[in-house]
Amino acid sequence: MFLRQYVPMAIAFVMGVVFAVQYYVPHPASEELLTTVNDWLIVVSGFSMVLGLASLMGSHWAKVRRGVPGWGYSLVVFLGILGTLAVGIASKGKMFAGEELTLTALGWVYDNMLVPLQGTVFSLLAFFMASATFRTFRARNLEAGLLLTAAFLVMLGHVPLGEYIWDKVLGFLPPKADQVMGWIMNVPNMAAKRGILLGVGLGMIATSLKIIFGIERAYMGEGG
Amino acid sequence: MRKLAEKILSMDRRAIYLLMASAALLPFLTGPLGLPSRVSPEVKAVYDRIESLPEGSPFLISMDFDPASKPELYPMAEALVRHAFRKNLRVIGMNLWVTGSGMAEKILSDVAEEYGKKYGRDYVYLGWAPGATNVILGLGQDIYKTYPRDYYGNETSGMPVLEGVRTLKDIPFMVDLAAGDPGIETWVVYGKAKSMAGGCTAVIAPGMYAFLNSGQLVGLIGGMRGAAEYEALLKEMGKATVGMDIQSTTHVLILGLILLSNFAFFATRRRR
Amino acid sequence: MSPELLGAWVAAGLTLAIFSFLYKDNPFFKFGEHLYIGISVGYSITLLVFNFMIPKWWTPLFREGRMSLLVPTVLGLLIWTRFFPRFSWLSRWAFAFVVGFGAGIAIPRTISNFIFRQVESTAVPLVSRGQQGVSFGWGDFSNFLIAFGVLSVLTYFFFSVEHKGPIRPLARAGVLFLMVSFGASFGYTVMARVSLLFGRMYDLVEYSSRGYGYATLVLLGLMVAVFLAQALSKKREGG
Repeated sequence: MFLRQYVPMAIAFVMGVVFAVQYYVPHPASEELLTTVNDWLIVVSGFSMVLGLASLMGSHWAKVRRGVPGWGYSLVVFLGILGTLAVGIASKGKMFAGEELTLTALGWVYDNMLVPLQGTVFSLLAFFMASATFRTFRARNLEAGLLLTAAFLVMLGHVPLGEYIWDKVLGFLPPKADQVMGWIMNVPNMAAKRGILLGVGLGMIATSLKIIFGIERAYMGEGG
Repeated sequence: MRKLAEKILSMDRRAIYLLMASAALLPFLTGPLGLPSRVSPEVKAVYDRIESLPEGSPFLISMDFDPASKPELYPMAEALVRHAFRKNLRVIGMNLWVTGSGMAEKILSDVAEEYGKKYGRDYVYLGWAPGATNVILGLGQDIYKTYPRDYYGNETSGMPVLEGVRTLKDIPFMVDLAAGDPGIETWVVYGKAKSMAGGCTAVIAPGMYAFLNSGQLVGLIGGMRGAAEYEALLKEMGKATVGMDIQSTTHVLILGLILLSNFAFFATRRRR
Repeated sequence: MSPELLGAWVAAGLTLAIFSFLYKDNPFFKFGEHLYIGISVGYSITLLVFNFMIPKWWTPLFREGRMSLLVPTVLGLLIWTRFFPRFSWLSRWAFAFVVGFGAGIAIPRTISNFIFRQVESTAVPLVSRGQQGVSFGWGDFSNFLIAFGVLSVLTYFFFSVEHKGPIRPLARAGVLFLMVSFGASFGYTVMARVSLLFGRMYDLVEYSSRGYGYATLVLLGLMVAVFLAQALSKKREGG
């Protein structure tokens, strides 16, 4: 109990208090403390990244071992990992070789496999969004109407063709499409986003205090 | 009329996908539409800030994105690095997103080659390091402790490009190009940048206006439109400018779909 | 086949494999999706080793003898005790160190660089004072709207008091501001997603040219043929 519960709580408390106070003590020794500990934590982050990567691999390895339906795809994951590691080691982790900037094997995998794969996975969202817009974007009430109007104006002001249409249809109005969009972004949008940000900021402070005082112990994992 | 409206509302999702794909392909078939984007004050502010820097000033660009946002942020980064090299600034590049490292390296190397810039003297790529908040905090304390070696394994101390630079405070201007977290917000809260601007994906841009309004960002380049505006300011037609044509056709399609679905919706409702 | 040409065929094939999901979930997509996970993990490990482990940990600690790095090494090894259930509780010490530090540095910086700055730029004069005296122009109106908007949104999110009486209309105004902001965000999101689509379309169009051996067109044709054959055989089975 003492080693498993109180020691980590004490560590979090001391670290939290020391580094919250450190901010207000601009003495060279205090700055040196921050520099050193921060430097250590960059190294620790590297170690924890291994944990994250290993747990992802572990879940796919479990699928292969148990032979669950679709386990072959988990093998593809390992194929990707091992293949990339092999070319990565051969290329010493660099994209280019020599003065001529020729692509290394890793650079080739990155440019022709990782970039298109990741880019395409996320570009699928363009299609889903168009479909969702068609199905759900309705001016059912005042709130939905406002949302729709703001989206409509921003989209119109965002693209050259929209600006062109605005100029042709509503050209008699003093503001241009991009000015209307600019006002929406800088005034009502900004006000709402600032409200949300302030809420998030206060929440962050509250969570930090909870961690320091041992109320929030999710970092301890199970049984914390 | 009602039947037609109902038919419209129950349109197969794949028909919409096909319309989207067609709208996206249209500009490739028709050729450039040639419609200009007006330059917004927030993008102009970034341009003006770089213009105002004296030759030889250090300029930090953190490319915190990955291939998922390449079409938005890659041209933006290219345009900014190009501008910095034109102004003969000393460019310090880095990134906080591991899978973006290859792109950051490519951007710096390609543009440097274009302008005949020498590595170590005119520019440096510090690379990626884990623990984003700690890296930002560390740069505010001592750059050489956070990055004792650059991406290529060279020692950073003594590099001519970093002469006179010990912490973020010694860098008169920096731009963070972000696709999410860690990104602009992390730099604003933990960085000690003297003066900073942001460039970001369109998804996170609306939230960044709060920092623009508070003066914590001197300017903001939002999404592909922002990148296209920057290219226009540099008088270079890059990929973002080309991409604005697809933006035009697909946006107009989506606006049309919104109108259509609303007309159909109200037509079916009124009859009931 | 030159590396560039091979690259174009591979990139076009993988792009089409992922796009095939728009038709339906299928093995091409699943292969591409899992390969993506594998490559991105492999790439991250490569960078972790070559950009971090070797230059920032191994070399300074074991070659240059920077003994202070033993502290984070021990902390890192404690984190790795998570791999061994019997000792995994030891990782709590390291996590407490990391999380405690994070909490400590967050509090003052969030207050001064975030909360104060945001409040400060909201609380600005709502009228202008010029040579002709006090005036209220469009800019002042915008400033008023910002102050009112921030206040009303905060009221909406403040659940400690019941939203009734004078609080109710204020919270309702907050909802309206939020709706405008969500609408604006939606408009921007459309642009972001379309940008990604442009990126992929640009490459696909480029790879469909003669110089690349019509890679996109050939691979698209093959994929469509497979789907057609599959649909036909299913129909035959059903019939």
